[in-house]
Amino acid sequence: MRSNATRLALVGAATVTAVGVGRAVTRRRRRHQPQREDGWYVVRRAVTVDRPVAAVISFWTERERLDRALAEWATLEQIDGNRWRCVSRDPDTGATEWRAEITVTGPGRLRWQVTGGPEQQGTVELVPAPQGRGTEIRAELRYRSGPLRRALGLAAGDEPDLRLRDTLRRVKSLIECGQLIDTRRDPSGRSPAQERRTDEIRQRLTTGGRA
Amino acid sequence: MKALCWEGVGKLKVRDVPEPRVRAAGDIIVRVRASSVCGSDLHLINGFIPAMREGDILGHEFTGEVVEVGPGVRRLAVGDRVVVGSVVACGGCWYCRTEQYSLCDNSNPQPVFAEKLWGHSPAGIVGYSHAAGGYSGSHAEYVRVPFGDVGAFKVPDGVPDDAVVFASDAMPTGWMAADFCGLTGGEVVAVWGAGGVGQMAARAAQLLGAERVIMVDRLPERLAVAADRLGVETVNYADTDVLEALREMTAGRGPDACIDAVGMESHDVGPGYAYDKAKQTARLQTDRPTCVRQAIMAARKGGTVSIVGVYAGLVDKFPLGAAMNKALVLRMGQMHAQRYIPMLLDRLAAGEIDPGYLATHPLPLDQGARGYEIFEKKEDGCLRTVLHPA
Ligand SMILES: NC(=O)c1ccc[n+]([C@@H]2O[C@H](COP(=O)([O-])OP(=O)(O)OC[C@H]3O[C@@H](n4cnc5c(N)ncnc54)[C@H](O)[C@@H]3O)[C@@H](O)[C@H]2O)c1
Ligand SMILES: [Zn+2]
Ligand SMILES: [Zn+2]
Repeated sequence: MRSNATRLALVGAATVTAVGVGRAVTRRRRRHQPQREDGWYVVRRAVTVDRPVAAVISFWTERERLDRALAEWATLEQIDGNRWRCVSRDPDTGATEWRAEITVTGPGRLRWQVTGGPEQQGTVELVPAPQGRGTEIRAELRYRSGPLRRALGLAAGDEPDLRLRDTLRRVKSLIECGQLIDTRRDPSGRSPAQERRTDEIRQRLTTGGRA
Repeated sequence: MKALCWEGVGKLKVRDVPEPRVRAAGDIIVRVRASSVCGSDLHLINGFIPAMREGDILGHEFTGEVVEVGPGVRRLAVGDRVVVGSVVACGGCWYCRTEQYSLCDNSNPQPVFAEKLWGHSPAGIVGYSHAAGGYSGSHAEYVRVPFGDVGAFKVPDGVPDDAVVFASDAMPTGWMAADFCGLTGGEVVAVWGAGGVGQMAARAAQLLGAERVIMVDRLPERLAVAADRLGVETVNYADTDVLEALREMTAGRGPDACIDAVGMESHDVGPGYAYDKAKQTARLQTDRPTCVRQAIMAARKGGTVSIVGVYAGLVDKFPLGAAMNKALVLRMGQMHAQRYIPMLLDRLAAGEIDPGYLATHPLPLDQGARGYEIFEKKEDGCLRTVLHPA
């Protein structure tokens, strides 16, 4: 793997992952307790992308494509050779939600740490899948969640585990077919109020209502 | 624009709805010229497939003209006449790349329900509830087709709308049913259900080498049409013991392959039916499996049971012992439209398959609700109602 390419690639994958779950960590809903290790909650999820590791990497190294993929989620700046800063924005208001620092730790591996936000860190690893089935993107997320934060903003679908799965699914779709399917604003005979209720159901069918 | 919307169990209404727009680079917008009803819609309308919402536009078997293309579309242009597969497929995942389009990983944006019910989510389907992606259906003046290059196919000149429309769903489903049977020539194939899907399965089985095809249904008009159009033998289960008849017709062997083209609203005569219906109504079983039970009992030892009739959840009294001890092959699935459509269009143009006779009831879109009533009650020899928006 060319080191620079690898770096950018992993940064991209991690950013999407971090952004996707970051919001969830702040507003998570406590339904069941994930595994705990050394005082952290730990969630591990993986997805298989039907492209070789090199292709997964080159997807993320194309800056323009990456920016498009991240569009309404985050911006990414390089700090130095191995470190990147990711700023997550609220897609509705555009306000900064939190910042993360991403560090490349080895070939096919990186780590991120949220700074000035909910306590969160994680790793992403790219591993070739057996039988030539492409690449396994394996993500691990560790977070702490204080009692106060737990009590606030408990929107459905914000379980970090579910959000992580949803995010990995998005990454997979972007790489495999270049887009995320969205049927939300397709025509229907619904009134605005009925449409809002349907959107809640869509949300639950997208990220899951419970863990 | 006008569209036929679901308004609750058993209720349909034509409403004014906004027109669809191109939303992604691969999208196309199709002006619908013909949009057929399908047996699957009955499962949706009657509330047996979950996650339907008031205002959902029905319809997934359609043909029309491309009126707008997204910037990423390569194979199609405005003005092309196309037929579109019911199943939405991304073209880029492992399943699509191995032509198992109805198992596409990326075309159901709302996969949670399927994942919980079935372990994994198959592809999204146009006009087929929010559990299958929440796509707006084709019983409308216009419809958005995602991944246009993958799912829409140019129609050969001279093939009328009311024939090519079935290349969207009934033909590929029937073809896949016969394909599952692994025919090598000379087999006896039995098909349960003489609807559009069953009739197309019967024709496909003939083209793939079956020597005899036997169709099972209770509607004499449908059986008569099948006998007349396709030259199949028929068994009417209303007045005949199906297992006995099939055994006799095959000199004791049983059919080499049995196709279920009926699905979860299977009807039957006798007390077993009342039992299944009661259990389904009480949601103790979600599906009525009469016909698949029969297919398993009827199949010869080592034969194949091919299921394209749709099931959603749990069934009761499934004769697994018969299937196991007779070493049956069970194949099933939603159809891989995109795999079969190009070949089927060639066969259509060559006159090898002529599905036009299925369009017994062409009607304007405005009369969509009535069209479904005619179809559901099989009034007046109805095989399929085909709706025309303009
Ligand atoms: N797998 C797929 O991709 C796919 C695609 C399209 C349709 N389908 C399914 O195929 C099935 C048939 O569709 P269709 O459009 O032909 O429906 P249809 O309603 O026109 O036909 C069903 C036929 O089955 C007959 N029938 C009912 N109970 C029976 C029994 N016990 N034995 C024999 N026949 C019986 C009915 O009399 C009717 O003629 C449906 O379940 C539909 O959902 C599946
Ligand atoms: Zn159908
Ligand atoms: Zn796919």
